[in-house]
Amino acid sequence: MEHYIEHGPSFAWLRVKLRPGVELQGEAGAMVRMDPQVVMTTHLNAPKNAGFFYKIWALLVAFMRKVLGGETMFVNRFTSAGQGEIVLAPTLSGHIIHHALSAGRRLFVQTGSYLASAGAVSTQVRLGGLRTLFGGEGLVLLECSGEGDLWVNSYGGVVPIEVNGSFIVDTGHIVAFDGALDFKVKSVGGIKSFLFSGEGLVCEFRGRGTIYVQSRNLKALVSWLSPLLPS
Amino acid sequence: MVMKYDILDSPDFAFLQLTLNQGEQCVAESGALVAQDSQIEVRTSMRGGLLGAAKRKLLGGESLFQNTFISHGAGQRLFLASAAEGDMRAQTLKAGEEFFLTSGAYVAHIGNELVIDTKFGGVRGFFSGVGVFMLRIVGPGTVFYASYGALHPVSVGAEGYTVDTGHIVGFESGVSYRVRAFNGFKGLFFSGEGLVADFSGHGTVYVQTRNASSLVSFLHPFRRVKSNNS
Amino acid sequence: MHFEIQYNPAHSLATAHLNVGESVRAEASAMVSLSSQVDVATNTGPAGRGGFFQKARRGFLGGESFFQNTYRARGPGATVSLAPQLCGSMVVHELGTGPSLLIQASSYVAAPDSVDVDTQFQGFRGFLSGESLFFLRASGYGPVLLNAFGAIETIDLDGELIVDTGHVVAFTEGIEYSIDKAGGGWIQSFLSGEGFVLRLRGRGKLYIQTRNPTEFGHTVGVMLPARSS
Repeated sequence: MEHYIEHGPSFAWLRVKLRPGVELQGEAGAMVRMDPQVVMTTHLNAPKNAGFFYKIWALLVAFMRKVLGGETMFVNRFTSAGQGEIVLAPTLSGHIIHHALSAGRRLFVQTGSYLASAGAVSTQVRLGGLRTLFGGEGLVLLECSGEGDLWVNSYGGVVPIEVNGSFIVDTGHIVAFDGALDFKVKSVGGIKSFLFSGEGLVCEFRGRGTIYVQSRNLKALVSWLSPLLPS
Repeated sequence: MVMKYDILDSPDFAFLQLTLNQGEQCVAESGALVAQDSQIEVRTSMRGGLLGAAKRKLLGGESLFQNTFISHGAGQRLFLASAAEGDMRAQTLKAGEEFFLTSGAYVAHIGNELVIDTKFGGVRGFFSGVGVFMLRIVGPGTVFYASYGALHPVSVGAEGYTVDTGHIVGFESGVSYRVRAFNGFKGLFFSGEGLVADFSGHGTVYVQTRNASSLVSFLHPFRRVKSNNS
Repeated sequence: MHFEIQYNPAHSLATAHLNVGESVRAEASAMVSLSSQVDVATNTGPAGRGGFFQKARRGFLGGESFFQNTYRARGPGATVSLAPQLCGSMVVHELGTGPSLLIQASSYVAAPDSVDVDTQFQGFRGFLSGESLFFLRASGYGPVLLNAFGAIETIDLDGELIVDTGHVVAFTEGIEYSIDKAGGGWIQSFLSGEGFVLRLRGRGKLYIQTRNPTEFGHTVGVMLPARSS
């Protein structure tokens, strides 16, 4: 799909030229501007072949998250009868990276980092337990696979790290990583560190593959600001 | 034995990459960890002993604890970043050389002999009621600090210069200051209580181009409201 | 006077360089620093006629009220440095022989006295999304300092465009505009996360910011501890 990533690396946005017959899917709330002939429809982010009960469950979760805050599972789909341009932008400052997905390649993306996709890309939510749904510690990932385009955003800058062995990343700093890597969520040090270090959970990666690390962290922003807030 | 370090992505979203060899260590603010190679151990300890830590807790929302990262291998990478969107700098100090930093700007330091004096300027409300206080840093060693926004150095001379207290990151010795209320509007809510510092003397003042109070003020209406029976 | 802008696009700082006797009016919360030859006066100009605007704006635009300070140079080399609340860029729009500028209220930073800023111009408040849109109208001549959350995209509009309201910084008068729901119905507008859009048609200059302050506020605000009022 013809696309341009502009105003990066600090405040990147994604400009896509739509043609008849192609569809761009973007996370809810990301639209910046569009030509008047572009049509937007809103959908639940369930896989197209998902069963009835999965869809009900997903709808319930989505409504709860929308009300309580956190990632919604609604996406917008954009099409155009003729040529039409649309621009999408993430919520936080930072960059956007494009991944071309092809058969056999899987990418795990932190849900907050998903911006848009096109083509036959499937995005399945992998939940780390009920707590993680409501912003608790842990990792909520989207498993992306198929054929097509995927756009992912970072909070702050993004650094690709080639892993050959093992590597540790604070969970809030993960943008995405190769599906081939093994990963395990754990605390950064011993019991004392877990309780007092002020660090959240970390993810230990093993194997060979690329991890995309972002230089800012939303939970750290919240920790920094919380003591400064009036009651 | 100079440890290798790089400040990347300056000035927009700066972060620090340190390379530690066997036995080398770095002390960092809690919450600063981005990523690390696996052979780095993290040890959490109380800052400045029990008394120092208790005193600091009274002064502001600062963490009582600090993390020491110790390498057990060669070429172990450690990535650190501040929570705020902005720049980072390294200030390498010679033995006895002083540098003054606002507490929130401190990220990490290397050099076991570096002194971080928290008793200096530890008067509550020195800069604003939000528990920000000055650190007096004495070399030898290197201190890494961050700004919210860009880091804008200003050379202060005889005519003096006035800076909103929420925008001060640090300053060199040789510069003196006087804090007073600003005689204009500073906005109704939480914009740093309207204090400014009049600097004079000779040296560089490091100003940051954003301030936390403004961000807090912006976010306040978006917070959920506590329900009556909670 | 002129504005010097540094550290675009992320952490912009605008320094107003004033000649002796010149003054600049700026949003109260924007002040970063001052040189020694500057007198400051408070300006309650909008308070009298700005009733609705003041109350409404305070509620929805981040708690900042529209108070301004006037900075006047009493000696040579006077400077005032200004910065907005959020990260992003600043840009100067020169007013003169061209049309007036309609500015989204939180995007206005500062201007000299030769620019008249009408704060009563237009207000609109969203329903489900809690979004609001207030425009100021700047006319006269001189530089107007605008801020953007994120980077600024300048568009020479000649035709029609749909822009999410949270991304609008300013546009020249003469461009027709109407407010519309982004999606088909109210439910879709709520679920799509888009809220309201501005349909713009005509010719003129349009400034857009690449991030949406309301989106940012909601995303972070919901993660912060609740407030008591």
